[in-house]
Amino acid sequence: MIVAAFAPFASGALPAAIALLAAGLLLALDRRGRALGYALAPLAALLPFAAAVAAPGRGGPMWAALAVGLAVALLARDRDDLLHSECALKLVWVMVPALALSWAGLELLTLATGTPVVLEQWAVLDLGLDPPFLWSTALPLSLITGLVLLGAAPFHFWVADVFQGSRPWFAPLAVVALQLAGAGWILWRLGGVEAFAPAASLTGGLLGIAAGTAFVAGAATLLVQRRPERRVGTLASLHGALALAALAAAHGGRASVAPAGAGLAAWGAHLALALTGASTLARFLPVASGAASPGSALLRRHPAAGVVGLFALLSLAGVPGTPGARIWLDVARDLAVAGRSWALLTLAGAWLAAFAVAMQQLREAFGVPVVSPSLERPVPAPARAALWLAGAGLLALGVAWAGAARPS
Amino acid sequence: MTEPAAAAAPHRSGARPLGAVLCTAGLALLCWPHLVTSAVGLELVAAAFWIWSRVAEDAHAQVSRWAWLRRPAQALWLAVAIHAALPTMGHAAMAEARGAFELLRWLESGAVVWAGLELLAALPLARPFSDLPGPLLAMRPWLPVMLPAAGFLVLWQHAEHWRDVAVVRGAASYLLLVTALLGTLRAFGRRQWAASLRWLMISDSAIAALMVATAAVKSEVSVLLWVGSCGGRAFLLAGELRGASPRRGPLQSGLWRIAAWTASAALAWPALLVLGFERGRFDPLLFSVASVPVALTAWVTVGRLVEAPERRRMTRLDASASLGHVAALLTLALGPLALVIAWWGGFEAAWPGSVVAMLPATLGGVGAWLRSRGLGVAGEIAAPADAGTGAADGTPRSPARGGAAASRAVARGTFHLVIAVERRLVLFVGGLGRALVSPIRDLHTGDAQEYLLLVVGIAVLALVLPLLQ
Repeated sequence: MIVAAFAPFASGALPAAIALLAAGLLLALDRRGRALGYALAPLAALLPFAAAVAAPGRGGPMWAALAVGLAVALLARDRDDLLHSECALKLVWVMVPALALSWAGLELLTLATGTPVVLEQWAVLDLGLDPPFLWSTALPLSLITGLVLLGAAPFHFWVADVFQGSRPWFAPLAVVALQLAGAGWILWRLGGVEAFAPAASLTGGLLGIAAGTAFVAGAATLLVQRRPERRVGTLASLHGALALAALAAAHGGRASVAPAGAGLAAWGAHLALALTGASTLARFLPVASGAASPGSALLRRHPAAGVVGLFALLSLAGVPGTPGARIWLDVARDLAVAGRSWALLTLAGAWLAAFAVAMQQLREAFGVPVVSPSLERPVPAPARAALWLAGAGLLALGVAWAGAARPS
Repeated sequence: MTEPAAAAAPHRSGARPLGAVLCTAGLALLCWPHLVTSAVGLELVAAAFWIWSRVAEDAHAQVSRWAWLRRPAQALWLAVAIHAALPTMGHAAMAEARGAFELLRWLESGAVVWAGLELLAALPLARPFSDLPGPLLAMRPWLPVMLPAAGFLVLWQHAEHWRDVAVVRGAASYLLLVTALLGTLRAFGRRQWAASLRWLMISDSAIAALMVATAAVKSEVSVLLWVGSCGGRAFLLAGELRGASPRRGPLQSGLWRIAAWTASAALAWPALLVLGFERGRFDPLLFSVASVPVALTAWVTVGRLVEAPERRRMTRLDASASLGHVAALLTLALGPLALVIAWWGGFEAAWPGSVVAMLPATLGGVGAWLRSRGLGVAGEIAAPADAGTGAADGTPRSPARGGAAASRAVARGTFHLVIAVERRLVLFVGGLGRALVSPIRDLHTGDAQEYLLLVVGIAVLALVLPLLQ
């Protein structure tokens, strides 16, 4: 009964609404002193991102390009903010070539099969009339946009850059929406691929290698990060690797597992809430100095709000007992069932790195006691409210999932 | 007082009980035979040390000193995760696993062993922790004592997770043997009885864990032997910190001497039997290596546990004295009782082996006893000034005392040499790892152009890969 009351959290709509509300609070804080209507105007631009979190995978391939365009436009709008402009430039540099290459791959497949419809393409290829070289080159090219948008290593840098360089209200929803667009792109491109076994085998192997690389490189990158925002960003890119691993498990494995699209809503809902809480918290955390240093003002003055923020960070890292652990565990189980043991090993390594860094961040957040707390920077109430919202949402998500066999 | 220390003062009152509660709960959870509870238990112990460290006067040193305690907890979490990810694969099924799944099985057993060994000071990463004071002033000498106990509990409780993997079991046995040797060398090299006791606990725990690894006796027997030996030493340490009460009076000190020797000899005997006489064949090399820590433990136990001089004109009768007698009798009884239980359960020793296995402990104990009688009371425990060329009063040192000091110096030197070599090796491996990781870190310089280059590079790779197929 209690679990049933939290069931709406299992779908993406309520978490998306919470993330949007938290973004609104942070936006109001960011634009203090301006008229409320004007200050909250960018929320209208964030609405499509929230809609993408609420209903993932429904936008089709065009949504990926639109999402990139919207993110770049929002970042580039604030020309006085150098970091925003830099993030916009970097996104353009990485996304436009990725979209162009994928478009070339799609056109090559259309050329080879004579049809732009994905399901028909597999049927045509299954006839064996075309040389394998053409489609086996075009297929990986067509997936590049998905890999880049997911932010899985070696394309992980843009996620951390956006978290470090952009405003707190922008980064969580935009990153989740772009990652969901990436996962949606791959799902769309691989729809019905089982009809053509060689392509399923090729993409399964490719996604497995991509996931393994993403886990290894992401874990290595995470261990050397010092800024809390970049740590959150790298953890988000590890979640991109998780999505890739789930896709690899669903395609070309030894045994069939549930289609990866079934868990996309749960993955996106958790990511939106956890990133909202963790990225808001990261703004108030000290940069790691390597030794025991003073802790965060947030955790000294408002320890409850700080702990709620840490809960979001720990959930992102998949610390046992948090909702995020369920995501990591389900992907690991899928990989085990599909017989992708090497990807499972790299996932274990990445999880260990994420767990260790999250616990290190927790200790650095509390730090050692210091003098003169009166000189500390105050922690604004809207930021604390955003932390509470994200934490409550995550808790509700955990309760909702507790009653389900697996989040779907 | 430093600035952070001054600020920490108000926090100490709350941190002490909180840390104590967490530490107690953590140790209690370790007694529960589930991986999850053990992982939570180790996490709580690590959290307790961190809470105490961050409010200590030397917080900066203490926080970094005890940061390694998260590693064993992390290792156990990995084992938990592997079990959770492969719920349908029990140990019997996993024994059939091949390829990467076999690697996962190794990883699981390796993780459990890592957690236990690191707490037992059996890994070269944090081996000398027992020489370092703990973060809580009131319990400083006690805190490092808890860690080897926790390590043994992890290895004992979760033996089913690691003992069946031959590679892991072999590596663990070797590391435990080295730890027992180093622990007794350090105990022998230290002049203070309390410091020696801490290292003897590590050595005893390592031998007990070795017994778990070799499955020499049943699980309950090994834990009973460990409780007898380490429990007795823990009581001795507690008494030593409260005015050396177990060493007051000839009766009590003599009783404790016999009890501690009996307990450690009873602990070492089955381990030596299995190591030296496996499958009825005598292995002189392994037996000799394993005999050294056993003999040294007996030597230190009997030689250093001498009657403390009474400072009062009239000995005060207190409850702790009778408690000491009872504890000594209990310690004396536990070892033989455990061996009787083992025999009742089917443990049998061949005729020459059983006697030979008793020799190291007997020779060590008798030798130390004879020597202490030759030197007189406190002959082995010299005053700090005795470390130089002469005794404290300036008189020339006797050859026997000079020999004791020299042998202690050799033990200290050997221990420090091993630790230094290990540290160099660890630093080398760490440096190598950093060198390998740094290209990944440096890959991203922040220039926007590199993004484009990377995407183009990946695209070229995607084009080239099919050609290579």
